[in-house]
Amino acid sequence: MTESYPSPAAPPSRRTALRAAGGGTLLLGLGLAGCRSAVSASESAEKGGAAEPRRGGTVSVAINSDFTPSLLFAQSGQSLQHRLVYNTLTRYDDELTPRPELATSWHYAEDGRSITLELRSGVTFHDGRPFTADDVIFAVKNLQNPARAAQLRATAGVITGFEKQGDHRLVLKLAHRVNNLFDLFEFMIITDRNSVEEALKGTRLNGTGPFRLTKWSPGSGLSFTRNDAYWQPGRPYLDAVEFRVIPQADALVSSLRTGQSQLTFQVPGRNLAVVKSSPGLTVTEYDTGGGAQYLGVNTTVAPLDDRTVRQALALAVDRDRILKQTLGGYGLASAAPWPKSSPAFTEAGRTHYGHDPAKARELLRSAGHTRLDLPLLHLGLPGDTAVAESLQYDLKQVGVHVTLRPTDPATAQKDLISQKMPALWTMSHGFAQVQPSTLAVSAYPFNEAKNTSKYRSAKYTRVVREAWTSPATGAAANALHREISDILLDEAFIIDLVIRGNVQVAAKDLHGVTLNKFAYLNLDNAYLAA
Amino acid sequence: MGIRLLRRLPSALLVLLVASFVIFSILRLVPGDPATSLAGPDAGPETVAAIRDRLGLDEPLPLQYVHWIGGLLTGDLGPSYAIGGQTADLIGDGLGATVELTLGALLFVVVLGTAFGVLGATARRGWVRATVRVLTTGALAVPPFVTGVLLVLLFAVVLKVLPSGGRVSVLTAPDLGVQYLLLPALCLALPSAAILGRYLKDGIERALAEDYVRTATAAGVHPRRLLWRHALPNALPPVVTLLGMQTGHLLGGAVLVEAIFAWPGLGQLAEQGLTRRDYPVVQDLLLLLVTVFVLVQLITDLVHAWLDPRIRWE
Amino acid sequence: MTAITLPAPGKPARRSPRHPYRAALASARGRVGLALVLPVVLAGVLAPLLAGHSPTDQSDLSLAAPGTPGHLLGTDDLGRDLLARLVYGIRADLGIIALAVPLGALLGCLFALLAATHPAVDTAVQRAFDLVLAFPGLILALAVTAILGPGRLPVVLVIALAEIPAFGRLLRTGILVEREREYATAARVGGASPARVLTRHILPNAVDPLVVQIAVSLTVAVFIEGAMSFLGVGVRPPQPTLGAVLSQSMPYLADAPHFAAGPLITVTALVLGLSLIAEALNREIRR
Repeated sequence: MTESYPSPAAPPSRRTALRAAGGGTLLLGLGLAGCRSAVSASESAEKGGAAEPRRGGTVSVAINSDFTPSLLFAQSGQSLQHRLVYNTLTRYDDELTPRPELATSWHYAEDGRSITLELRSGVTFHDGRPFTADDVIFAVKNLQNPARAAQLRATAGVITGFEKQGDHRLVLKLAHRVNNLFDLFEFMIITDRNSVEEALKGTRLNGTGPFRLTKWSPGSGLSFTRNDAYWQPGRPYLDAVEFRVIPQADALVSSLRTGQSQLTFQVPGRNLAVVKSSPGLTVTEYDTGGGAQYLGVNTTVAPLDDRTVRQALALAVDRDRILKQTLGGYGLASAAPWPKSSPAFTEAGRTHYGHDPAKARELLRSAGHTRLDLPLLHLGLPGDTAVAESLQYDLKQVGVHVTLRPTDPATAQKDLISQKMPALWTMSHGFAQVQPSTLAVSAYPFNEAKNTSKYRSAKYTRVVREAWTSPATGAAANALHREISDILLDEAFIIDLVIRGNVQVAAKDLHGVTLNKFAYLNLDNAYLAA
Repeated sequence: MGIRLLRRLPSALLVLLVASFVIFSILRLVPGDPATSLAGPDAGPETVAAIRDRLGLDEPLPLQYVHWIGGLLTGDLGPSYAIGGQTADLIGDGLGATVELTLGALLFVVVLGTAFGVLGATARRGWVRATVRVLTTGALAVPPFVTGVLLVLLFAVVLKVLPSGGRVSVLTAPDLGVQYLLLPALCLALPSAAILGRYLKDGIERALAEDYVRTATAAGVHPRRLLWRHALPNALPPVVTLLGMQTGHLLGGAVLVEAIFAWPGLGQLAEQGLTRRDYPVVQDLLLLLVTVFVLVQLITDLVHAWLDPRIRWE
Repeated sequence: MTAITLPAPGKPARRSPRHPYRAALASARGRVGLALVLPVVLAGVLAPLLAGHSPTDQSDLSLAAPGTPGHLLGTDDLGRDLLARLVYGIRADLGIIALAVPLGALLGCLFALLAATHPAVDTAVQRAFDLVLAFPGLILALAVTAILGPGRLPVVLVIALAEIPAFGRLLRTGILVEREREYATAARVGGASPARVLTRHILPNAVDPLVVQIAVSLTVAVFIEGAMSFLGVGVRPPQPTLGAVLSQSMPYLADAPHFAAGPLITVTALVLGLSLIAEALNREIRR
C-alpha cells in the first residue's frame, strides 16, 4: 500500500483532489482554506549535505510500537527514547571501545575484581537534583531485580559491592572477572532513584539526558523538549522531538514520504525498496544491533539430536535468497551470529555454510534419512511468514518436509522461554552486537546453562564461562571467540540466517543522528539543515 | 414504554453478564500471558515469574474476575498491562478514532444511499437505473478488503491524491484529517449505503404508487415536488430505523477497515491488545462493544414498539 | 453482514409449474450470476490441470511481470507462480466454504428446532444468538485462532459460528409463522405428532428462505476467509487462499500491482455472482 511519490512538477492541487474524490467532496469541502495535501509535503529538501549545524526545529520520529514504561529497564520494548531522556555511563564507538558519557574515566584493579569509575560532575537531573555516585549504585541494584526483566541482569549480578569515594568516584566490586561490563554500561540508563515507580508507570521520566519528556499519550506518541541545562554545552541543537506511533508499515512509509516524520528505524525490509527511490530520504544501514534471523533446532527431537542432520539443515537454506526476497536486501547473510563490527566476526564463519543442497542431502543420507517431516514454528506476521515459507521450500529440496506453524508473538514467546519449541522454529535474536560473551550469557537461545534448543555441553559451558571472565581484547580473547563460533557453527543448534542491521530512514536535511548498540537514539548532535 | 423497557432489561443484563464470563475465560484460554509478552524474547523464566507476580496474575481466576468487574463498577479501569498507560485513556483514544471513522462513513452512507435510492426509483433512463442496480449489488457484495485495495490502487497509487493509510485527527488538522478519512470512510460505508439505497428505492416506489400521489400527478403536480415533498418523507421512517441498525454494523466492520487503512481505532486496539495479551484492555474493550450492541438492540426494539402501536398496547 | 432482505416467510409456498429455483437461474440476474460464478468454481475444481506449477514452488524470479515465459500471471515476492497460486487459492476457498456454510446452516437449524420445543429453550437460544452477534466477528476470529492455532479449522469454525444465528433466526421465524397456520393446527387437531407436523408440514415450507440464505452465506464465507487472512489469522502458509494472496500483495501494490490483480478480480466475480444468484432466487420465491 505504498503510493509512489508525486512528481514535484505537479503537486496535487486542491482541485485535483476534489475532482478525484468525486462524491466525497462533501467532506473535503469542510475546511480547505490554506489546504495542505496529505500525499505531498516537504520533498524539495534535497540540499547540499555539509551545512552548518543549525539550532532549533522539531524532529518527528515515526515508531511502530509505543513506549512501554513497564519495560523501561529491559531490552524488549521500544528503546529509542532511552538516550533522549537518560544517559548511560559509557558509549561504545564503532570499534566497541568505550567512550565517556556520565563516567569520564575508569580503571580496573590489577586482579580485575573491581573497577573504579570517575563520574562527571555538574550533571543535574531534569528536576535540578545533582547526579552522584548514589544514582549509579541505584541503577545497578535496580537491574539486579528480576522484575525489571533486564537481559544484562547476569552481568549486573557480578557487581557485589559498592565503595563510594565522594560523590563522583565509585568503586564497583566484582564477584569475578567479567569482560562485558561495558555492555552493561552501554545498556544501563541512569534514572532518578526517587521517581522510579512513576517512571515505570510512564507518568514521569526524570533523567539527565538532552531532552525532557513533556507528554506521553499512550498509543499515539511522546513529546520531548530541549533540556536547557544539559551537561554538554550548546547541545542539543533541536528544540523538540516528537515520537509518533504508526504501527502499520505502509502508513509509516507514507508518513516519511509526505514529510510528516523525518526519521524512523522501523521500515520493514520489503518496504525499503520504495523508500530508497524517494528523493527526499536517505537510508543508512547500521552494522549493529538489529537482531539476527535464525533457524532454531530442538536438539531433543529425533533425528535432530544428530548433529549431522542439523548441519544438513544449515547447508540446505539459501541465505542470500532469503535476504533478497524477504528482507529487501538489507542485512548480511551469515551462518554465524556476529555482525561485521563484532570482535568475533570472521568471513570464514560467515560463509561456513553455503547454500549446498547436494551436500545437505548427502549428509542426511549418511545419517540414514531420505525424508523427514518436521514442524516449524514462526511468528504469524507478514515478514516472518515469508521467511518461514522460504525455509520450508529450501528444506523441502533436500527431503525435509516442514509443516509451518504460524504463532502469535505472545505464544511464541512463551514456548521459547519455557523450552517448549517444536522441532524447528525461526525467530530473531539480539545481543551479538556487543561483547561476544554477552550473547551466550544474556541471549536466551544461546544460554549455555538453559536454552530453547535444550543443547548442553560441558565444552560450551566451559568456553562461554572462560570468555565471560577473561579480558575482552587480546589474542586470548580472539581465540575464545573463535572457539565459541566454532561450537555454534559445528553444533548448529541455532542456525543463523541473516544478520539484520538497524536501517535508518531519515529526511535528507536531518544530520547527526546516531544509535547506540542497544538502539537508543542519540540526538545530541542532530540538527535540521536550513 | 417504561414497562417494556423494564421487561427487556433483565435479559439484556443477563447477556452482558454471560458476555463478561465468556470474554474473561476466552482470554485466559489463549496461550501465553501478558507477562511472557512483556518479558521479551531474551528473558528467562524467573523474569516472567517476577512480572506475573507484579501484575497480579498469580491470583486465583475468580478473584481476578471479581477485581475486574469491581473495577468496572467503580469506574476504575486500571492500567494496561502491556500497551502502557491507563486502559480508559487507550479506549478513549481508540473510541475517538473509530467514532470519527464511523461518522465519516455514516455521512457517506446517507449521501450515497439517498443517491442510490432516489436515482434507482425515479431515474427516467433505463440505463441509469440499471447502473444504480449494478452499483448497489456490487457495493453490497464486494468485501471491504477488495474495495479497500481498489480504492488504494486508484486514489493512492495511480492518482496519488489521497494517502493510503494512517490518521491525522480531523479535530487537530481538519484539512489533512479529512484526506486521511476519505478512503477508509468510503470503504466502510459502501455496503450500508447499498442497503439504505435499496430500502429507500422500495419505499419511494411504494409511496409513488399510493393513490393520493397518483391523484396529485393527474392534477399536474410537478414530479420532483412529489418526490421531495411526498414520496421521500413517506419512505423515511423505516430508513431511519435501518440507519440506526447500520451504525452498529459500521462499528463492527470498522475492525477490518482499520486494519486495511492503518486507522488507530478500537479494532486496531483490540488486535494489539489481544496480540500482547493485554487482559484489561481487551476485556474492557470487548465488553464495551457488546454493551453498545445490546443497547442498539434495546433501542431498536423500543423504537419499533413506539412506531408500531400494535406492539405498544400489547 | 447478512444483509439481504429476506422474503416474508409467511406466504404459502405456491409451486409454480416451473420450479422457482430453475426459473431464478434462468432469469437475467441468475444467468449473469452463473456466468460469474461458474468459471471461478471451474478454475478451482480444475486447478491441478490449469496450473503449470506447484503453488508453493519458489524461484529466484521475484515479482516477475505477467506474460513472463512460463508464468502467465507473473510471480510473487518469493518467485511462486501466480496463476498456480490463484487457482489453488480458489480451490482452497471452495473447500473451506463447502465445509463451513453447510455446517453453519445445519447447526443454525438444529438450534431453531431445539428452540421450538419449549418457550424457555427458545429464550435461551435467542439470547445465545444475541451473544454471538454481539461479539464483533473478526475479534472473535482473532481469539478463536489464538486458542486453536491458525489453520483451516478455525477459519471453518468462525465462518460456521457467524452463520448459525442467521439460519437459526430464519428457521425460527418460519416455524413460528407456519405453526399458526391453519393446516398445521388442523393436523395437530387431527392427532399428528409434533415431530410429524414439523417434518411434514413446517420444514418444507421454510426451506425456500433457507436456500436464499445459503447463497448469501456463501458470499459471507468468502468475506470472512479473506478478512481473516488480512488480519493474519487465515489458513496456514504456504497454502494460498484468495485472501492470503491478496494480503501478501499489499506491500507491493505500487511496484507490482499484478500481484493483487488475480485475487481482486476473482473475489469480485465470485461474490458479485453469488449475490446476483441470491437476489434472483429471492425474487422468484417471493413471487
